[in-house]
Amino acid sequence: MAKLKVVHYINQFFAQIGGEEKADYPVELRVGEVVGPGLAMTQNFKDDAEIVATIICGDSYFNENLETAKAQILEMVKEQAPDIFIAGPAFNAGRYGVACGTIAAAVQEELGIPSLTGMYVENPGADMFKNQVYMVSTKNSAAGMRDAVKKMAPLAVKLGRGEKIGSSAEEGYMPNGVRVNFFEAERGSQRAVKMLIKKLAGKPYVTEFPMPDFDRVDPNPAVKDLAHAKIALVTSGGIVPKGNPDHIESSSASHYGEYDITGVMDLTEDTYETAHGGYDPVYANEDADRVLPVDVLRDMEKEGIIGELHHLFYTTTGNGTAVASAKAFADEFSKKLVADGVDAVILTST
Amino acid sequence: MRLEMGHIYIKDIQFAAESKIEDGILYVSEEAVKAVALEDEKIKSVSFDIAKPGESVRITPVKDVIEPRVKVEGRGGIFPGVISKVDTVGEGKTYALKGMAVVTAGKIVGFQEGIIDMTGPGADYTPFSKTLNLVMVCEPIDGIKQHEYEKAVRFAGFRVATYIGELARELTPDETKVYETCTIKEGMEKYPDLPRVAYVQMLQSQGLLHDTYVYGVDAKKIVPTILSPTEIMDGAIVSGNCVSACDKNPTYVHLNNPVVHDLFEQHGKTLNFVCQIITNENVYLADKQRSSDWTAKLCKMLDLDGVIVSQEGFGNPDTDLIMNCKKIEAEGVKTVIITDEYAGRDGKSQSLADADQAADAVVTGGNANQVVILPKLDKVIGTLDYVTKIAGASEETLREDGSLEVELQVLTGATNETGFNKLSAR
Amino acid sequence: MNRGKYTVLTNNPLVFDKLEKTHEVIYLETTYEGLLREVRDRIHEGHLLLTHPLSGSVKPNETPYKSVLISTEKEEVDASSIAIIENAINSCHKFQDKTGTYGEKVLEDFQLIDWTLLESGLPSADFW
Repeated sequence: MAKLKVVHYINQFFAQIGGEEKADYPVELRVGEVVGPGLAMTQNFKDDAEIVATIICGDSYFNENLETAKAQILEMVKEQAPDIFIAGPAFNAGRYGVACGTIAAAVQEELGIPSLTGMYVENPGADMFKNQVYMVSTKNSAAGMRDAVKKMAPLAVKLGRGEKIGSSAEEGYMPNGVRVNFFEAERGSQRAVKMLIKKLAGKPYVTEFPMPDFDRVDPNPAVKDLAHAKIALVTSGGIVPKGNPDHIESSSASHYGEYDITGVMDLTEDTYETAHGGYDPVYANEDADRVLPVDVLRDMEKEGIIGELHHLFYTTTGNGTAVASAKAFADEFSKKLVADGVDAVILTST
Repeated sequence: MRLEMGHIYIKDIQFAAESKIEDGILYVSEEAVKAVALEDEKIKSVSFDIAKPGESVRITPVKDVIEPRVKVEGRGGIFPGVISKVDTVGEGKTYALKGMAVVTAGKIVGFQEGIIDMTGPGADYTPFSKTLNLVMVCEPIDGIKQHEYEKAVRFAGFRVATYIGELARELTPDETKVYETCTIKEGMEKYPDLPRVAYVQMLQSQGLLHDTYVYGVDAKKIVPTILSPTEIMDGAIVSGNCVSACDKNPTYVHLNNPVVHDLFEQHGKTLNFVCQIITNENVYLADKQRSSDWTAKLCKMLDLDGVIVSQEGFGNPDTDLIMNCKKIEAEGVKTVIITDEYAGRDGKSQSLADADQAADAVVTGGNANQVVILPKLDKVIGTLDYVTKIAGASEETLREDGSLEVELQVLTGATNETGFNKLSAR
Repeated sequence: MNRGKYTVLTNNPLVFDKLEKTHEVIYLETTYEGLLREVRDRIHEGHLLLTHPLSGSVKPNETPYKSVLISTEKEEVDASSIAIIENAINSCHKFQDKTGTYGEKVLEDFQLIDWTLLESGLPSADFW
């Protein structure tokens, strides 16, 4: 079998260019070179795969020039036409982890080349991208390099060959929301007994099915004086001014929009639309008030039921958007809402 | 209670003029077992067949799987309240025929699943591909109601299993295992430092082809109660349900309940196996609430430190499971729950119909929606007529080359929720 | 809580036949999921869910029939009823729809099973 072609992405630190002082190092392609962790990767590939090029990019450069860096790297990868793209491993380096996740997901989605990355489970990049791209779970520092490449190399070969990928427990990637069957060494009852003994002894154990973690938020007390309250609209339903001026993505949104509706009494087909993918947008596009009820609130404003409708609304698409991203958006615009003296928010979805 | 289980290993099953067990070979007089099956006038005809591991044989639609046993010492008999008269079982001496099973098959309703493949990929998933199977297909008399047919087949299976079990009465077991539980006070004194553990078994109890019987009592009419874990080994709990074949407990699983057996393995070593608590899975929500309240209350009253909770079936029992888990944990008793998953064919859907953070220790029997291709086998015992109608199948199920494209759901015992198998998912 | 009176919501003609004369039955010509959605709408109006909407082990989209008991009286909206019905509706999408493929005989069997599932809850419902 011919050797699989691999393109490897690493940051300035692992390329031994420098630390934080070199984090603005721009994108560089080294064709035919195996750099840093690529060496260990190569050893573990044996005769199955080889790194044909290494892409190096400083962490600050990547995150501060996101769109340019992404485009540059995609172009380089496309040119090399590898069978598999590997980014990292990033361990617990936050910006590096986000860069690895971002670029691995982009290569996979936009170029259709299977991609793999690896990082520590608490790296912010993990939550953001583990469901989009196979991500090997590593230790929290580069001391875990050996262990990381040992898992990444064989998984990369499998991905490159298009072989069936087993369960996360077998292959070492982070659970990604896709349940995969496999045979354990012991029957379920034995596993249950062992798990119970550990639980009783206060020792760590791993559940085979983590319960969905709903972030429950206690509702705020009711607004006492609605007639004098300033109400804002916020939506994850993707309502944007016609033409989507800020290019909010139809899924996995990377940002949110802030739009002024001063004097807007009604959202019409000619002025507003939804950027949201994953649902039939016809009814939202026909009349965006169906998702973001500006018209009704204007009526209420007029009738004196509410004090006023805040002149700005905030919007993004909920479709596939990482919880971590959504939290970050809300963290930011909530402060603006508070600063603007908004008393209550109506949050609408799709 | 102390029960001595004598295991007699069956190496082969053959039809013969006379029924007997000799040198590990079970000889079955077809005439004799037919007579036993036909004792019920609601059964018009019955045919017997033998399916062995590795043979190119498919059995479907399976109703129940039963391990033949005989009670040789102590109170009561096998299947109390069903075949034997009502008496408390679980002590004395019982023999079991290991390595074999009586399998009942027959179409009670038109969408009945339940496939046992003796070879191929299907055999990897159903535990009953590893047993020598004496299969009986029962045809009912004309005009019979489904209820009566179900009951007739259920009882015929128990009668035949009991008849086969009786053949072992005078034999010497190949192996003997002793299972003994203490009374509450004895256990406290004997194992003062070991955690007190019980097994909470949820029993399917909802209607036709969805029922379970405890000493002959319909489980939907019980309130949660405690058993000595040895009672199930004498057939205290029997199955009346086979819809959702992958995660229903055939009688074989009740007799050999793996949680009971694996807790006994640790009894006196790492834990004190106090008792088995049985509860039900009714459709009425207030019943679910009452039963889970009572289960949690029993756990508290028994001063338990931990329990393993097993589920049976799809959908609404997820609610019972989570209610039990939440309430038992709230009493300060640590739980591990065993379930299976319906995560969709792509594995991306929400696995359970209910969830709670208290359920932080879960063992899974795998995703029942996983698709498996079952190749055409040489022989079918039962009928494939209805195979496109069963759960997890479709019109495309029966493929041109005779193979079947189905979900694991249809395979008897494939994702069993008492932890009977090695299959899991992540 | 007034559970005294209950209403049967069903798309199963057999259940309608059996209970029509003695019970309050709303018969709806709709799908399994459609029936669950009707139940959901009523829960939002304040009716209480009395039986589990995923009663039985016959899978949604495998059987076309479903019967559910809700309280006749309206009260404050019950959060646990909403959680259960929403989870049940979500479950429908996990299973291939085969309801169009059956002959009369199989449909009758499905009706019968749905009836016995509902029937198993009636004694408890009547007791209140």
